[in-house]
Amino acid sequence: MLRIGFLAAAVAMGPAWAAPEDAVFRDTIEPILKANCAACHSGAQAQGGLSVANLSDVLRGGKRGPALRPGKSSESLLVQFVRGEQNPRMPIGGKPLPDAMITTLASAIDSMAPAGEERPDTDHAKWVFSPAVAPKLPVTRNADRTANPIDSFVLAKLEGKGFAPAPPASKRALLRRVYADLIGLPPTETEARLFLEDAAPDAYEKLVDRLLGDRRYGERWARHWLDLVRFAESDGFAIDGERPTAWRYRDYVIRAFNNDKPYDVFIQEQLAGDELQRRPAVRGGAIENEGIVALGFLRMGPWERDANFDAQLRLDWLNEMAGTTTQAFLGLTVGCARCHDHKYDPIPQKDFYRMQAFFAATRIDERPMPHLESEGRLALRRTLRRLEDQLEEANGRVQAMETDLRAKLAGAKAPDSKPEADNLQRALADKENKSFTPEERKLHKDAVEQVQKITFEMTRFQPIAYSVNEVAPPAVMDVEPTFVLAGGERSAKGEMVEPGFPRRITGNSDAATIAYAGRYRSGRRRALAEWIASPSNPLTARVMVNRIWQHHFGDGIVRTPSDFGMNGDRPSHPELLDWLATQFVEKKWSIKAMHRLMLTSNTYRQSTRHPDAKRIADSDPDNRLLSRMNWVRIESEVLRDSILALSGSLNREAGGPGMFFGVKEEVARGFQMFKWYPSEDKAKLRRTIYAFQRRSLPMPLMEVFDAANMSESCSRRSVTTVAPQALTLLNGELTAVESGRFADRVIELTGADPALQIGKAFSLALLREPSGDEMQKARALYDNRGQREALARLATVIFNLNEFIYLE
Amino acid sequence: MNREWNRRHFLYRSLVGAGGLALMDLLQPDALAAQAGPLAPRKPHHPAKAKSCIFLTMLGGVAQMDTFDPKPALEKFDNTVLDWSNEKRTDQPDLYAKPRLILKSPWKFAKYGQCGMDVSELFPHLATCVDDMTFVKTITGENGNHPAATFLMNTGLVLPGRPSVGAWVGYGLGTENQNLPGFVVLPDYRALPFSGSQQWGAGFLPASYQGTMMQWKGDPINDLRPAGDLTARDMQDQMRLLRDYNHAYLDGNFTNPDLQGRIDAYELAFRMQTEVPGVLDMAKENEATRKMYGIDEEETRSFGTRCLMARQLVEKGTRFVQLYTPSQSWDSHTDILKGHAKNAKEVDLPIAGLIKDLKQRNLLDSTLIVWMGEFGRTPDHPGDLRDKAGRDHNTKAMTMFFAGGGSKPGVTVGVTDELGWKAVENVYRMRDVHATILHLMGLNDLRLSHYHAGRNMRLTDTGGELIKGAVA
Repeated sequence: MLRIGFLAAAVAMGPAWAAPEDAVFRDTIEPILKANCAACHSGAQAQGGLSVANLSDVLRGGKRGPALRPGKSSESLLVQFVRGEQNPRMPIGGKPLPDAMITTLASAIDSMAPAGEERPDTDHAKWVFSPAVAPKLPVTRNADRTANPIDSFVLAKLEGKGFAPAPPASKRALLRRVYADLIGLPPTETEARLFLEDAAPDAYEKLVDRLLGDRRYGERWARHWLDLVRFAESDGFAIDGERPTAWRYRDYVIRAFNNDKPYDVFIQEQLAGDELQRRPAVRGGAIENEGIVALGFLRMGPWERDANFDAQLRLDWLNEMAGTTTQAFLGLTVGCARCHDHKYDPIPQKDFYRMQAFFAATRIDERPMPHLESEGRLALRRTLRRLEDQLEEANGRVQAMETDLRAKLAGAKAPDSKPEADNLQRALADKENKSFTPEERKLHKDAVEQVQKITFEMTRFQPIAYSVNEVAPPAVMDVEPTFVLAGGERSAKGEMVEPGFPRRITGNSDAATIAYAGRYRSGRRRALAEWIASPSNPLTARVMVNRIWQHHFGDGIVRTPSDFGMNGDRPSHPELLDWLATQFVEKKWSIKAMHRLMLTSNTYRQSTRHPDAKRIADSDPDNRLLSRMNWVRIESEVLRDSILALSGSLNREAGGPGMFFGVKEEVARGFQMFKWYPSEDKAKLRRTIYAFQRRSLPMPLMEVFDAANMSESCSRRSVTTVAPQALTLLNGELTAVESGRFADRVIELTGADPALQIGKAFSLALLREPSGDEMQKARALYDNRGQREALARLATVIFNLNEFIYLE
Repeated sequence: MNREWNRRHFLYRSLVGAGGLALMDLLQPDALAAQAGPLAPRKPHHPAKAKSCIFLTMLGGVAQMDTFDPKPALEKFDNTVLDWSNEKRTDQPDLYAKPRLILKSPWKFAKYGQCGMDVSELFPHLATCVDDMTFVKTITGENGNHPAATFLMNTGLVLPGRPSVGAWVGYGLGTENQNLPGFVVLPDYRALPFSGSQQWGAGFLPASYQGTMMQWKGDPINDLRPAGDLTARDMQDQMRLLRDYNHAYLDGNFTNPDLQGRIDAYELAFRMQTEVPGVLDMAKENEATRKMYGIDEEETRSFGTRCLMARQLVEKGTRFVQLYTPSQSWDSHTDILKGHAKNAKEVDLPIAGLIKDLKQRNLLDSTLIVWMGEFGRTPDHPGDLRDKAGRDHNTKAMTMFFAGGGSKPGVTVGVTDELGWKAVENVYRMRDVHATILHLMGLNDLRLSHYHAGRNMRLTDTGGELIKGAVA
């Protein structure tokens, strides 16, 4: 059936020369290959991995790639080899093929319909590349169980299988769930009481609204986006140099979530913040253009600062940008198409380069951009002034010290010494020089290091945006052209292409219409941004609502959130996804509206337990039908932040340059290119989102608990369970210190009664009272131990509990 | 019921010594059987001799013409300028922008062993092991930059983010000892490899397969001992309470299988607390062994101690151990005489000790040793530092060796040109090395795949070629 579909498409396309490829191969190409090539290129030992046994083998090709490109003889390796354009000329060791035979071969290949342009359609492709249309709500038998349309879609499927949804989760379970989900921290006692004691029917809705209005929401949800855009504050590779102002992009994302920036604007700013037509706001004499900071999105990939080849570095960057943009916003993986027509997905190689061409005028740039009021301009300026003062002081100290040392050196100088012995720096560097005591050397070294440290720190407060710019007419004659590169090789330039959208989505290979964007601007990125952020784009809204869904429910409706293509997961509830996507556009791309919709559904408010769970698991082992709520393990950041919040240590300072957590001395020193100076103790206790993101040095707790690896876009974290997690959480410094502080806090709140202390520890961390058995066992810790010690042991146990780390 | 089960299963004993932990009895076989997790041993694709692999990484790049691939022609052309204009030098254009001078090897070569292998004066101890070694002189790379080339060597791709060889092997075979990590990395803390843990990361494979870094000074694994001031009794009480609470929480929560997985992970962690310090117990090794590895000599202490750790780990069933010299240690652009001499000195005795020790313990057959750097070095140098000349990066030829684990002892594979600059016969790529390692460990590189980002990914991408001459 698929075959018929393909032929129909080929015919409908209608070029006169398009012929059924099978027939052409069988009649003309196969006899030539059989006679001249098959001796070596067939069977299990096919040379170079290439078999010419049939058309699909030839299309698959061997080590060098596909041997034949339908419709393109000159690009077909087969032809190139027999013509001697590639070494060794084929047939190897034999006589070259007669010219007439080569011509026959070439024209047969040219007569074939080009591959990759049209491919067999399937229901999935038809669905995914057609704009979402709001489906009718399904009819359910138990409509009383639906709080909103989400439930209708879910319930209809369950009823179809004869399953009932799980009962509602307890208020306590729901409270823990929604706090971890929306703000990534446990509720305080007051916050918990506010909800648990609110008997109003809309108590939960009010809670959701409170949390969505809380600035800690942005600090939590920005993390999901930062995973996706491979955010890091260093380059990676050998030097792994610091990006001192990359934090501004992180804060931009936090603000975007907190202010519920419409998603279409969010996209446009990150792709074309410099080209948007909107007039930038002018406040206090300074131009506020968040868009310049938002462009940091395009810069977040790894960057090999000491690369041998600027041209290759640029190509890698262009590929990375095109790939990440397509993955993050369109949910398509196009990386394969960089080198060849995608084997499964309908993105031909040419389309990859047409996408890449949107960035052809883009250049990296650290752009001066005054700090925005929303970034805390005044506070940043104050800190910079303070650092300047400190630097002056530190420099003064070094100078004073050196004056003394120089005097000492002059005094110790032997009469016949060489003139360079006068040089203080050289004398200090020379370990043999006996003019100074070891203490003097150390004091001097520390003082110099202090200057260096302050200098580093100051760079983070510069009003610079880690951003991009354009190289476009009239600065240059024309925007740099883009070529299809065979095998992704820079030297293998093929056809020149214009910027254009994937043919499979638009239905044509036309060049994109690029509106005039002003002098020195190509307008290309703006055209791309507007096309992606358009309500008629079939992927953008679906992909984003699926991402939001995934973070709330533990799994997406499509479980491969950055791969909606043919090889991706099939949606469990396509109609629901379409309905959500249309709602998203209708609600003016409001992400908070989507949260509200999902969180207030009965589906979200279900228990993780189901009375019929065992029977349902037989036919739905992965709980795709959502007959109950999925178990969710809190992410590494939530884990650390929660422990700090419970112990009372959490430093709630928001925004600005990141904090440098403590690392082992040998690790800090182990890196040659990039000094790591841990922040002051108080700063180290900030939320994890404010931890400095250095690619080669992730925070150990984050690394062991599956945080995103910063080198490529991460759409879904793995959830692994390994022994080093247990060691870290049981023995690590965080637990050791915060368990003690937690104990202090509990004693301060309850006084000297162990029962009250244990009760308080449970209610703070787990939002419940201990059972009789739990109480009795915890009491045993008090035998031969001081109260604080006993409570600290209990705290360590609680921080490691399954009940603590999983949301039920 | 759970409590009863606990009592029967978990016998405690106090461990005297550092940390003084109280731990469950290791001799309970049930405890091991309960560990059918991601690291449980799995059947190989085909029968193989090598059960474990020790990968000795010579960071910076070793000069083949100064170590194992003698080139008399260098004597002849020493200090002359060669015309390179016919050669495409796509990977390092700057290098050849100026005229360059050929540099003869400062070291003498001699033939050793029954196989008559050439070894330079740099490796007097390894020279005594050549009948157990397999040299491949024709490994080529793709990128002449250290980080990219190191990524290629470790993951098959010049970019970060892919699973490393050790992770792939763990993914394919699991590991024999559930009380130890399956993939252990032993770097040199004087200079960690570029990109740190990404070089031994699990990439898109489950994180259970990532390498666990161990140190040879102090505690071998992070957080193996409590950071706070805890007594044995504290640890024991915490563990008991945690286990009780977690078991109670299992009741009625069977829809979450990870709850049990996490209980198991804690048990493994506790077992590691006893097992790992034992592995690192250098004191229990006798004088002769310490001497073999050069533990008591300043120059060989770091690499020697780590080679000995590798043997102990392999002996206990760890699947893959990777050692690193300090980052860029072999990178002798200048003064190769001093640089290579120092680096060879640090590793020669320890590696020879490792080969001999494994052999005398009948472990060499089941342990594959792999020795290589991220690329080779050039036969020439820029010429401005004649008295302190060195050699530059060379992706066109590198010498590596295998030992044990089903490799073919006493042979040499591949031929380089008369200057040792370029591999000319039996030329192999990194992915061919990977395919060979996997093959010797019983894995087929085309079958070992993991679905990620829209396709089945492999260590060798579209497949590597087995280095047939190196396989017994």
